[in-house]
Amino acid sequence: MAILVSTMKRQRAVLIALALVLASATPAFGATKFDGRWTLTITIPESAASGNNRTFTVSVDASPRDGSLHGRTTIADAEGHTVGGAWRQVSKKVSVTYELPCTGDGPCATLILTGKIKSSGTKIRNGKVMVVWDTANDHNPALFDTSNGSFKGDRVQ
Amino acid sequence: MKATRFAALLIVVLVVAASSVTTNARMQSERTLAGEWLVTSSPINGETASPRGNTLGFPDRDMFFEENGDLRTGVVLREDAGPNVRPLGVWRINGNRFSTTFQLWCPDSNGPCGSIVMRGEFVRDDRIRGTMTAFFDVEDPRSPTGFDMWTFAFKGDLVAPAGTGAAQRAR
Repeated sequence: MAILVSTMKRQRAVLIALALVLASATPAFGATKFDGRWTLTITIPESAASGNNRTFTVSVDASPRDGSLHGRTTIADAEGHTVGGAWRQVSKKVSVTYELPCTGDGPCATLILTGKIKSSGTKIRNGKVMVVWDTANDHNPALFDTSNGSFKGDRVQ
Repeated sequence: MKATRFAALLIVVLVVAASSVTTNARMQSERTLAGEWLVTSSPINGETASPRGNTLGFPDRDMFFEENGDLRTGVVLREDAGPNVRPLGVWRINGNRFSTTFQLWCPDSNGPCGSIVMRGEFVRDDRIRGTMTAFFDVEDPRSPTGFDMWTFAFKGDLVAPAGTGAAQRAR
């Protein structure tokens, strides 16, 4: 009888410990979701042929995916342009893609951002940017000029 | 008298010419992707997969584009792949040319995923053509981006203009 009580007590202790682990793990997972508002600092070449980089910040508001694999974002730059974007996430890895607002005669491009959300859920560091410019290039497999850049992200709220 | 008539005729000709230029310019600036498009794709130079062997195949794509001010969004209805398969994207337009980008739909989180960039032009108001490039999140040091990519051709026909019943299906 004493052995049975001891075993039951041990099982209860294990269950409580398991519940505590699950309870603490759930918020951590939720914290790494991309939903919400971010400030992204993006560094890319000034144009396809330029050796100079430009760095700019955008405000990203990522809507929840609502059970889908994809979500929508709005992306606003410092000049007041707001465009749409699309995002997906697997584990901590996030991808955001959007069209740069084209103004004047400046070069225009599509951006594909990929990065990993830190465990805190508030930072993305060493993110990569693929830039697909509007300028045609038969020597590039994409048939358009491409460049690489980088980005970092900080959650606003 | 003849000089007055000639001057009047000249003014009429100039006004008609100017109005024609304005109309053409307006037609150019009024191009839009908004609506439902049926897009078919085909390989370029027989390349049916990326250098790393990734491919999307060549399914017909039912694409819906919407425009709400500066927010230009798109969704692909892949009913062939499943009722809830709805890859999301965005687009922009510049005269006769357009660009769109979509996220790839990857239900298998262990497999490769990526994004699509479409670059095209209007053949007519209701017909488009161009190329799509899939940028896979698989590293490829031989690629200029450092990632595996694959380009193929597409053409599309407008099935339903924006605001029509069919185009509302994607909402």
